[in-house]
Formats: sequence, structure tokens, C-alpha cells
Amino acid sequence: MFEPPLQRVIDELARLPGIGLKTAQRLAFHLLHVEEADAVRLGESIIELRRLVSLCGRCFNVTAEQECTICRDLRRDPAIVCVVERAQDIAVIERTGEFDGRYHVLGGALSPIEGIRPDQLRVRELVARIDDEGIKEVVAATNPTVEGDATALYLARLLKPLGVTVTRLASGLPVGGDLDYADEITLGRALAGRREL
Amino acid sequence: MWLTWLELDGWRNYTTLSWQPDPGVNVLVGSNGAGKTSILEAIGYLSAIRSFRGTGDEGLVGVGTDRAVIRGGFAKAAGESRVEVEIPRRGRRRVLVNGKRPPRLATVAAQFPVVAFLPDDLELVKGSGSIRRGFLDDLGSRLSPGYGATVGEYEAVLRQRNALLRQDGPAVDLVALQVWDERLVAMASTLWAERVELIDRLAPVLGAAHDKVAGGTATLAVGLDPAWGDRRDVVDAVSFDTGDAAERLAGALIERRRRELEQRTTTVGPHRDEVRLALAGRPLRTEASQGEQRSVAVGLRLASYRMLAEHHGHAPILLLDDVFSELDVLRTAAVMELLPQGQVLVTTTRHDEQHVVGRSWEVVAATVS
Ligand SMILES: [Zn+2]
Repeated sequence: MFEPPLQRVIDELARLPGIGLKTAQRLAFHLLHVEEADAVRLGESIIELRRLVSLCGRCFNVTAEQECTICRDLRRDPAIVCVVERAQDIAVIERTGEFDGRYHVLGGALSPIEGIRPDQLRVRELVARIDDEGIKEVVAATNPTVEGDATALYLARLLKPLGVTVTRLASGLPVGGDLDYADEITLGRALAGRREL
Repeated sequence: MWLTWLELDGWRNYTTLSWQPDPGVNVLVGSNGAGKTSILEAIGYLSAIRSFRGTGDEGLVGVGTDRAVIRGGFAKAAGESRVEVEIPRRGRRRVLVNGKRPPRLATVAAQFPVVAFLPDDLELVKGSGSIRRGFLDDLGSRLSPGYGATVGEYEAVLRQRNALLRQDGPAVDLVALQVWDERLVAMASTLWAERVELIDRLAPVLGAAHDKVAGGTATLAVGLDPAWGDRRDVVDAVSFDTGDAAERLAGALIERRRRELEQRTTTVGPHRDEVRLALAGRPLRTEASQGEQRSVAVGLRLASYRMLAEHHGHAPILLLDDVFSELDVLRTAAVMELLPQGQVLVTTTRHDEQHVVGRSWEVVAATVS
């Protein structure tokens, strides 16, 4: 145990994903020595993040407005929607420059082991968008994992009867990985060569 | 390939170890429980990211520590690779090859060939089907990353489907179940194709190795009996058809759905396959003497060694865990004769081991000197 103010920072940092106790301690001791202005800026940016940024009412991307910049962009094709597991996957696909439709953030992938069922994902919200927005094609860009594949297949089973074409990114992505790890060229090709499920 | 150095931290009974074995034959001498097998197990783990004793990760972390660490260097003609594994008591295991996270774990086993002869190898022939499936899949994973990836994916899909059945039973979301069925069928037929092809490659090598060990008295046959639901029989690479296999399993899943929803588990698929071994037409598991079974068990290990040596173009690392007490003199001679000039690590409790000549190391209370 350290002095309470220091221990509190360590405990808070250790709760973040990917940060173990040792890293949390190192970061906390680092913060102890930074300029006060730097520490204040960090603290305020975290508070502002929570206060100003929320989820897009349409696609659940991160936004500071009611709807995200992509949903508000009139040049983008509303008939094609790319479904991703997490909001940060949107940036990965945007970097390829190959996609000009809108997005939908599911909030995860089907995983009975972790107790994640269809009703825990934003599936109902996606189905509601089909009619509202006249969606013709859904690109299932879930991660190339066992769970991501099953989720893509689930969307296909669910949406095909509604007259929607469901496509999956072409292979070439490393199976078992995250979209994060795919480079832009591979991902761009995977988008261009997507196939129907 | 040979192991140039090995470091252990909190691995089983090792607080810490830093060891540089010889590129040739190393004999680890020590009493039972001194930590000889743990060293071989660590090398096996480093090469395939799993324990050849079948121990789960939580059982590998030493008492009083929060993580087990294995580091080592595998040297090949092309240079040395550094492999590091960190197994925390809780949370995710970390694997680094040359300082980088490998794109898939399956690439590790296919890169670093290691073959282990273990004291309970008789179980390969006598034991349950899961032991033979484990042998086959381990060999396949060491021959190709694709095989290992297929096994991993099939098992992941199976675990998910079983979790769904266990949690929801008859109340299951049918669309979700159909999705897992479809994934299971796809991965199962891929795995069957891999297994059938591997057995086809294994059969002649195993036959030759067994002839050497047993003196070529009776013909040894090996085949895959896939658990795809209906008629159980042995298939070979010629008669096997992926589409047909997928259709059979898909049909079986529908036919058994009501029963599986009650039993809450998956009752068909490659996880129930049998690898059949027969000597002159007699099933080895049930209708053979212990001597015959032992010859086939040794033959299986020798065949793995030869296939890996041929595939990689160099000798794998050979781990012999206290096997000389189990093997009789004739078979021992056959084993030793077949060994090419690779690195060997032998454990024994006897100082006067006659069968091997090499550098001797004393293992006492988890220290090596
Ligand atoms: Zn949006």
C-alpha cells in the first residue's frame, strides 16, 4: 500500500484494459513528477471526454453531436452499412478510403461463453434501421475470429429474409486477429473483394 | 534444431533456472520429483505453447508466485529464435517470438519441431480416443500452421456451441444455434480433410518404424473413423469427400437436435473421432498383448520424429522422459539406432544409464548442475 492519494491513482489506472498493476504503478509514479499543468490538462481532458462525447443516435459511433460526422455527411451512401464490433474499428476502415456508406456499431460479437447473446448486441437497432434508411447491403466487418464469423452469419440469417444483401470481407485478413492488426492495404482489398453470405 | 539456452521463473517447482544444454545428448540425472520432467515439459511448452502432460495453464504456475515464465533460444542453421512465454496465474498468457507477438499461436508449433517420448506412451494405444486424437493433432500442428489453426478454430466453435446448449438448452435461440451448427460443420469438414490427409502420410512411415521396432512380423494399419453421426467406419484419403462429410454432419445435427438440447452438449463431430490402429486385422486397443501395444506406441513417436525431420530438413529436438525403464533392451536399441544427429534430452533416475552417452547433468531440488 502507498499513501492514499497515490494508491487511488494506481487503483484507478489498474482498472483500465491492458494495464496491469506494475504498469499502473509506473504510470502513477510518472504522474507524480509531471508539471502540475500537464496533470490538470490530462484530468480535464478525461472529464471533457465524458461530458462532451456520447454515442451517435443512429450508428453508435462516438460523437460530440446528436449524430456522428459520418451519419451527417450527405455524400455518403445510406443504402450500404458496414457493421463493426467496436467504434474504434470505424477509424480502421475509414483509413482504407474504400468505403463510402454508413456504419453500425454492434457493441461486440456473439459469444455464448461470455454470455453475449443477440439481445446484448445492437441487433434490434440495426434491424430498425433497414426500413427507416432503405438499407440494401450490410457489410459484416466483424473481426475475423470464431465469434466475429458467427456474428456475421447470424446477421445474414436475420437480414436476408428482409431483402438485404449481407456481405463479408474477403479473406486475406489474418484469422483470429482484430481488425486493428490488419494493415490498410490488406483491409482495403478485403473490402473491395467482399462476398455475399 | 537445438535448444541453446533455457530460463525458467516460477515454472512448476523452479523458482529460477538458467541453463545452457549441449547441442548433442544431455542426460538429466536425478531422483523422482527433483524437477527433471518439468524441464522437458518447459521445452515442450516453449515449442508448442501447451503442456505435453495436458496440464492447464493454472497448474503450471509455481506455488507462491503470480506468474510462470519460460524463455529459450532455438538455434537452426538460419539463426537463433528467441521464444518467451509468460503465464500469469490469472489473465491472458503472453507469447513472444523474437520479441514480437506471433500473428497466430499455430505458427509457433509449426516452426520449432520437438518430439517427446513419455513414460505413459502406452496410453497412445491402450487409452481413450482423445489421447490418439491429441497425438494426431499435435503432429499435424507441428507439420503445418494451417492444421493447428483448424484444430484451434474447431475447438473454439465447439466450446461456443456447447456453452450455448449448456446455458439455454431447449430454450435456445434457434437462429443462433443454426449459426453455430453451420460454423461447426464448416470447421469439422476442414479438420476431417486435414486428419485424413495426415493419416495417409503417417501410415507408411509408421509401418516402417513399427517394422524396425517389432521386427516386421505383422502389418500395422492406421485409419480415421470420423464421428459424423451415422455408420462408423474407417475412411481413407481416396474415399473421403469434404462435401459429403459436411452433409453427413449437418444431417446428424438436425436429426439429434432434440436430444442435444436435452443433453446440452455436442454429441457428433471430430472431437469424437477414433484413430483406429490394427495389427494384422486385430484392433490394437482391445486385442493385442502389452508388448505389441508398446511396439506400436514407440512406432508412433518414431514416425513423428521422422516426419518432422523430413519436413524441416533437420532433426527435431528429442525429449526422452524416463523411457528406458519402460522399454526393453531390443526396442531401446531400435530407438537409439533411428536417432539422427540431433539434440537429445534424456531424464533418468539412474547414474549408470547404459543406453546413452552424453553430457551428464545433476538435477537436485529444482537446480541443474
Ligand atoms: Zn453515426
